[in-house]
Amino acid sequence: MRSKNLFIDPGRCIGCQACVAACRECDSHRGRSMIHLDYVDMGNSSAAMPTVCMHCSDPVAPCAQVCPVDAIPVGPDGVVGTASAELCIGCGNCVHACPFGVPKLDVAEMLQYKCDLCYDRSSQGLLPMCASVCPTDALFYGTYEELLEKRPSAEAVDVFEFGEQAIITGNAVVAPAGRNDAIPGGYSVWSEMDQDPT
Amino acid sequence: MPPRDPRFPPETGHDRRAIAAGSVAALVLTAAILAGSRSLDNFDVALLGYALGTIFLAFGVTYRTVIWAGSPAARRYLVRGWKALLAKPGKSVPVSEVPRTLISTLLLQRFIAQRSIPRWLAHQGLFWGVVTATMITFPLTFGWIHFRAVAGSESGYWIYVMGMRTAKIDALGIVGWLAFHGLNFSAVLVIGGGAWFLHRRWRERANNLTQLGRDLMPLIALMAISFTGLALTVSSVLMGGFGYRPMALVHMCTVVLTLIWIPFGKFFHTVQRPAMIGVHLHKQGTLGSDGALMCRSCGAPLEGAVFVSDLQETMGELGLNYAGWVNTCPSCKRIARGAQYREQVKAGF
Amino acid sequence: MARRPLLPVLAPGVAAFRRETSRPGRYVSAERGETRVATHCCYCGVQCGMYLRVSSNGKVFGVEPRGHDINKLKLCPKGVTAYQQVNHPDRLTKPLMRDRRGEPLREVSWDTALNRVVSEIRRIQQTYGKDAFAVYSGSSLATEKCYLMGKFARVALGTRHIDYNGRLCMVSAAAANKQAFGVDRAANPWSDMLETDVILLLGANVGECFPVATQYFWGARDRGARLITVDPRETPIARTADIHVPLRPGTDAAFCNGVLHVVEREGLVDSEFIASRTSGWDQVRDDLPEYTPERVGHICGLDPALIEKVGLTWGRAARAMAFHARGIEHHIQGVDNCLSVINLCLATGNFGKPGAGYGTITGQGNGQGGREHGQKADQLPGQRSIEDPVHRAHICEVWGISDEELPREGTSAVEMVHQAEAGEIKGWIGICNNPMVSMPNHDRVARGYDALEFHCQIDFFLSETCERADVVLPGTSWAEDEGVSTNAEGRVVKYNKASEPPGEARPDWQIVCEIARRLGHHADKFRFGGPRELFEELRVASAGGEADYSGMTYDRIEETGGIFWPCPSEDHPGTPRLFEERFHHPDGRARFHAIEWRPPAEEVDGKYPLRLTTGRTVAHYLSGNQTRRIDALVQQTPRPWVEVHLSLGFVDGDPVTVTTRRGSATYPALVVSSIRQDTVFIPYHWAGKVAANLMTVDALDPTSRIPEFKVCACRIEMGSEIDVPPPPPVPPGVREYEEVGAFDRSQPSAPQGRGTGRG
Repeated sequence: MRSKNLFIDPGRCIGCQACVAACRECDSHRGRSMIHLDYVDMGNSSAAMPTVCMHCSDPVAPCAQVCPVDAIPVGPDGVVGTASAELCIGCGNCVHACPFGVPKLDVAEMLQYKCDLCYDRSSQGLLPMCASVCPTDALFYGTYEELLEKRPSAEAVDVFEFGEQAIITGNAVVAPAGRNDAIPGGYSVWSEMDQDPT
Repeated sequence: MPPRDPRFPPETGHDRRAIAAGSVAALVLTAAILAGSRSLDNFDVALLGYALGTIFLAFGVTYRTVIWAGSPAARRYLVRGWKALLAKPGKSVPVSEVPRTLISTLLLQRFIAQRSIPRWLAHQGLFWGVVTATMITFPLTFGWIHFRAVAGSESGYWIYVMGMRTAKIDALGIVGWLAFHGLNFSAVLVIGGGAWFLHRRWRERANNLTQLGRDLMPLIALMAISFTGLALTVSSVLMGGFGYRPMALVHMCTVVLTLIWIPFGKFFHTVQRPAMIGVHLHKQGTLGSDGALMCRSCGAPLEGAVFVSDLQETMGELGLNYAGWVNTCPSCKRIARGAQYREQVKAGF
Repeated sequence: MARRPLLPVLAPGVAAFRRETSRPGRYVSAERGETRVATHCCYCGVQCGMYLRVSSNGKVFGVEPRGHDINKLKLCPKGVTAYQQVNHPDRLTKPLMRDRRGEPLREVSWDTALNRVVSEIRRIQQTYGKDAFAVYSGSSLATEKCYLMGKFARVALGTRHIDYNGRLCMVSAAAANKQAFGVDRAANPWSDMLETDVILLLGANVGECFPVATQYFWGARDRGARLITVDPRETPIARTADIHVPLRPGTDAAFCNGVLHVVEREGLVDSEFIASRTSGWDQVRDDLPEYTPERVGHICGLDPALIEKVGLTWGRAARAMAFHARGIEHHIQGVDNCLSVINLCLATGNFGKPGAGYGTITGQGNGQGGREHGQKADQLPGQRSIEDPVHRAHICEVWGISDEELPREGTSAVEMVHQAEAGEIKGWIGICNNPMVSMPNHDRVARGYDALEFHCQIDFFLSETCERADVVLPGTSWAEDEGVSTNAEGRVVKYNKASEPPGEARPDWQIVCEIARRLGHHADKFRFGGPRELFEELRVASAGGEADYSGMTYDRIEETGGIFWPCPSEDHPGTPRLFEERFHHPDGRARFHAIEWRPPAEEVDGKYPLRLTTGRTVAHYLSGNQTRRIDALVQQTPRPWVEVHLSLGFVDGDPVTVTTRRGSATYPALVVSSIRQDTVFIPYHWAGKVAANLMTVDALDPTSRIPEFKVCACRIEMGSEIDVPPPPPVPPGVREYEEVGAFDRSQPSAPQGRGTGRG
């Protein structure tokens, strides 16, 4: 596996969308942003959260698993790529199977787009665009040790919980020190309702 | 050890079935060659390499297709897609929809034009070049078509199809000239399109996860076939046959290697995309009828109910135990995760 | 003379980034055969470093993050897309002119346009006197051009009427700094924040207006510092603050006095510092008993316990820093507000040490440099005073003119517009500003401009102000010229030229020098071959002044990644931290100022029961003339909105009509619980019917003459039709913007814009 990953800290995010603007500047997909920036507390606060591909490692890339034409490559270093333009038929399976809501679909182009960790940049030692520009390091790219050096009290968690399913990811989110439990993925609200017919 | 990829089940039964299917396909093609060439009477031995390569191709493509179709997502879509394609016209989608989809998606590839016009032009070049070349060469190498000089004519030829004499053609006439130089036109189309794609690869910093084998090799192979093929024409027309035989050997090698490669590289999309052509009809049909689902969080339109239940079954088969999550739209998924992070992990700095 | 090393505190990772900045200004990147030009962002006072990517045919086509000391690769959405201005289809590429108002602008030759400008200047000055012609400049210009504008007005035109758009920005802080310290500059480099224990941030929406500066605040908190924010809105930086003080707009001075009251009552003042390095404490202390937390809580609409808490947190900190921005400066009591913050820092001895200090965060790119070198009504280069005989003598000598020829102090920007309305000013050259969006009380601004007999505007996009002008001259964007800029820390950085100007556009300095040449009066004093020669003269002119640039050269600035002024000689490392030993008043002491809180110009009443405050949003910059044309930014925030508290009974997207005594407009409501119930907010970047400044009050601070943008009385009610923002004006021949789609009418998801998931 690769040593450097993205560490996401929504607590630091100021919602400025520099990441969104910068993603558009990536050479491999100029003009099209693959990152999501959501205001997660609308009406109450200016809280925001960026979403990049988490590069799921166990189970490996659900998006690639549900792809009917094997269009989503998974690199030897665990990077889950954007759909191959030759193969993708634009069916939308990955869009809805991704537990994090990452892939985007261009219906007219019959093509899926998703974050590939700026493979063209990161494979050459440059920082991914989003993490490079993020004014607050809410998106931080580096090794876990580098993260700790900057933020001694941070914990990085790479396990997410979607109801009964735990998903281990390549990228991680930052949690307060000592909080090692799986990060809730937002699904539990619904899965409890599913189980409770009332 | 990385976790097992459940798309490729380890049970050997499936594998054996694929080998068997591939073998059957290879045998069927061999039989067809024997029949079509009148027990090899009309078979050109110089083209033996091509024919063997194609027989292997039949094995490979069938083997790969069976393996591929065995994965849960592909299987479901293949069934749905072909049902939609072969359904009684007008039942779920308008009658004109089937031919429209076939023409606009398979032949004109309008979706590529949406990505970019130069890319579309280049792909059309590759596509029509390869299609015409295949239509010309496969029957020739199988011995299904051959030509015999018309007695007493300097440029007249009889066309034999499956051993039966059909029409006469004048090699110096327009039709004849086009027919005999068809492969040259194919080569020019392929070279034009391929050059654009190679140029893109060359100019852009390593594209997304570009791999030499998967991405670049097929392009290089097509270009090699086209160039060596054109070189044959140049040799015979302009250079009085100089270097023709070694060049013919090189040409055959490039072709045979490419044929063998097809099932494993990205060329396999030439099988996959037509096979999946019905999927869009299927999705359109399920959305058009009463089966559209709404995101259960925000109420925005999601997908067809059949799409969702299919995907949920697929996920179940793959051991992804959060199929209920599919009923929520991606945007609401992210916002729900953000909200839970705020509530349960940390709200602030 | 022994000097402390430059930047004694290095933020983590700076060493690695230093290597990056040591790259030569132009180098050919191996990957793609493109050129990358090292430069800085054209927008806010942070002045982030960036590389502009230039294709082999000389076109700027992209941006690459640059590991400059200031921003360490980081950029905000405006910075990322800044390069898109350079080859923008809306650029002005030919001079435009109209013969009389009401006619459309048409393309003319440079000769025709310049002849008209020159003959109008001559006619107006001969008919009405020299002072009847005014120059209104801007602070987003490189310092060389700012210097040139001051010289042009005073030497070539001989008018006293020159001012700049910093008058709408941070001039209150400038005046307060001058009064308190004898010099106008932030006291510390931002890296000092990493060593502080408490940061007090007043009226500064750092997360949106200076996004990249946030890393310093977060860096401080990573190291254990506590953050106190003071703002009527819970902005992104306030959202997670340790203490957030949501005070009523227009009550900042009362709040600071209240905090100082607690500090003094608890015995947390630094008596030694007060005794040895300041004067005037006694008067301040005498006033403090009035500002009990209870009374202040009542004035500010706060729980008195909050004021106690801030007082204790501030007073007990070993090292503390205070920063402020427009929120406390845009008031009729703007200077007093800043002085009351300075009082807090002085009383606790927080000056001249790592982690202890004070600063204002300038809003414009060159907000600092632009207010130092004499394009301000009362100022000569080097922060000299135009009324000081010694200062006048120095500048007269540099410029080679006599004292009689050098005009006296002029009037401020808003006053000049009012003078135009009154017929005292007849002619006008504007450069780098767009008052038809940015000045308060638009009706009156329009009347002022329309009353002018001649109005020339220099810009690189056709602004709403250009649209009304008689002559529009096409200038250059920052990427098409070189020059220096001084960021909010007082660090001088260098813009480099990445591209040729489009079409017939010319560098601004060339246009101004050409007008001076054609006017003929002291034409020999405007024979500059380029920014480099201008800078050389600026060095000489600033020598010996407070803002002393004389030791800086272009090469030194590029080698070091920025030099802090004062820098009096070429072997001087610059001065990142001020006031380590003395303040800049002749006696070396800082001045306390006893501040008495006064209510804002317009108090709420039965008819106008709410307070309207205005400000920026992250995707747009100032009057929006640059950012409203950039697709990504328009997608993020297509239109203004009115932010109201949910207790007022509206729901998201409701058409809400905001009315003040001066105007009224209907916006979609953004209903939040993060704003005070008695306050509504509108971002001010848009023009026409949805301009926030239709409604703001043009009352001015008596000292700084800054308008009170940040508070006036208003009422809101359910409207019917949401007003549509007008598309940005374009020059003749350029395809106009479509209104539908790009300018859609719904409110954003949040103050920062629209989430990517919806719409």
